[in-house]
Amino acid sequence: MIYDEPVFKTLGDTAINVEFGDETSIPLNFRILALDFALRENAPRGLVETNPQVRTLGLVFDPLATTRAHIVAHVKDLIAGQGTVSTLPSRRVIIPALYDDPWSRECAEAFGVRNNIEYIAAFNDMTVAQVIETHTGCDYWVTGVGFVPGAFMSYAMDPAKRFGAPLYRTPRTWTHARLLNFGGTTSTIYPIRVPGGGQLFGRTPIEIFDPRERSPAFADGPVLARAGDRHRYESVEREEYDSIRAAVKAGTYEYRVEEDIFDCAAYVDWLAEMGEPAEKRDPESTWGPA
Amino acid sequence: MLEVIDGGVRTTVQDMGRRAGQALGIPPSGTQDGFALRIANLLVGNPPGGPLVVREDPGAAGLEMTLGRLRIKALQDHTVALTGADTDATVDGEPAPPCWSSFVLRRGQTLACGLAQNGARAYLAVHGGIDVPPYRGSRATHVNGGFGGLEGRPLAQGDRLLVGAAAAPADELGGRRLRPDLVPHYAPPFEVRVVAGPESHLFTADSVETFYGTAWKLNPKADRTGMRFIGPQLSFKPGRPRYLVEDAGLDPSNIVIDPGAPVGTIQVPSGVEPIVLCVDSPSIGGYARIAVVISTDMGRLGQIRPFEETRFVCLSHEDAVAILAEQEALIADPKTIV
Repeated sequence: MIYDEPVFKTLGDTAINVEFGDETSIPLNFRILALDFALRENAPRGLVETNPQVRTLGLVFDPLATTRAHIVAHVKDLIAGQGTVSTLPSRRVIIPALYDDPWSRECAEAFGVRNNIEYIAAFNDMTVAQVIETHTGCDYWVTGVGFVPGAFMSYAMDPAKRFGAPLYRTPRTWTHARLLNFGGTTSTIYPIRVPGGGQLFGRTPIEIFDPRERSPAFADGPVLARAGDRHRYESVEREEYDSIRAAVKAGTYEYRVEEDIFDCAAYVDWLAEMGEPAEKRDPESTWGPA
Repeated sequence: MLEVIDGGVRTTVQDMGRRAGQALGIPPSGTQDGFALRIANLLVGNPPGGPLVVREDPGAAGLEMTLGRLRIKALQDHTVALTGADTDATVDGEPAPPCWSSFVLRRGQTLACGLAQNGARAYLAVHGGIDVPPYRGSRATHVNGGFGGLEGRPLAQGDRLLVGAAAAPADELGGRRLRPDLVPHYAPPFEVRVVAGPESHLFTADSVETFYGTAWKLNPKADRTGMRFIGPQLSFKPGRPRYLVEDAGLDPSNIVIDPGAPVGTIQVPSGVEPIVLCVDSPSIGGYARIAVVISTDMGRLGQIRPFEETRFVCLSHEDAVAILAEQEALIADPKTIV
């Protein structure tokens, strides 16, 4: 559901969440990101940091320098002045990946299953080759960055190519760094070795998180992904994977990041032509925004 | 300079934490008990910084010991202070001055902390501050990410820690102590104050009552990422929208990914064992949040030991801000240190 009016929720003494709805939706995320950009250009006194996610904008503020009411009033004014989102700055990032890789298999086997990509294929009534073809077949919109350093959430922009598989019921205690995985329809990459329950299907040779910030791609910080990026995956063979990995380690790999402006309004129109409903409703649900 | 003889159970370099990292997935880290580290810094004449990541200034870095047992040797004279959990510390085998006071550790002397007697975390501040390279504005260690502090890891035998330049001779700052009535007592049952959370409306009224009426016991797997509490199962209201199965997950506690508070959010996955997200926690979550711990009480929370009883008490946002203002007045008051 998309709420008629944004809902402001209080988190303790120092944070607010601005929620636009309760569902996963790229057009909803456009509104969150547009508000985040507006706040960066016109930040109220006492705002400490923002954290844009798929349906919610997180705000941390200093309650001794301002008040909750001032922050809410400021954000409401910005929302009222915005209208429909027409465009957003959006980088296009090409991510090479070795699909059906030995490390994903090793990790699956260490926790008692043969392999995850075959499960993803079976779950979607596809072959493994179709999983790879579909995952590399459209851009993925990054709705937000977070969880562990450098992790991100992204969703297939073409609804006809949106697929995935449920998370493990009990998460693994470790996962190799840089493994591609699905949690539901969320497509992401583990930046570092962490516990996790995503269904593993490939590994990228490039860094998603690099605290040493060795490449120009990490000029503004240790994290590759930004909310509002469009990721495109490219399937590579083992030889190319190894050569890219060697270049990344040597600090000579050129990350393929292109600055761009994305036409959000045209995308929303295209979704409507594809028959995508503007929001999800369950008439039997009694859960409201607050 | 200080030399680590034994890193103890787990000791890391911490200050008041790293801000503006949430949108990159970088947690604030920093001390679990802001009050204890800030008082330790005040005792030795360092900037206290804080409160927890809300202010620009992370303050001086000190050492956070989980359960104690750090042994450290001074390679020159240093004014130091121990706060937080009482570890029955000794200097060259003789009892050290009491907790919550400053003293001079002479060149060649070894400060040995024992196992925490009360509370879960002890702090050591040294005049000048622990001088590791700041990462993104803070010296706080984030072990899982491998950055901040000393090489992004806990201290180990043989590590040498540089100390920032002293602004005063070591003897001038010794013998100071925290005003006695302000010394915290870490004893169960703990009372942790919270503000109702953004999804508290999704829990049944009975479950909300149970949450506030229960003496919860800390799960021993608690760490700086999260603290789980053992107690009764909580349940959710019926009428969950069906599309959330695909958008968020099968379990009724699953909500679409949300940014957390900086620290203190209490999620209840599957209605079992409420988990308080702590200073090294993920910057986003996907479970219904029943309450949020007020920033002032994150310190007290960090002193709870496994299986100790804890009750959550609900306040308004305004009351929580008033408590924060009171704490900041105390930190700024020169009479806090006597």
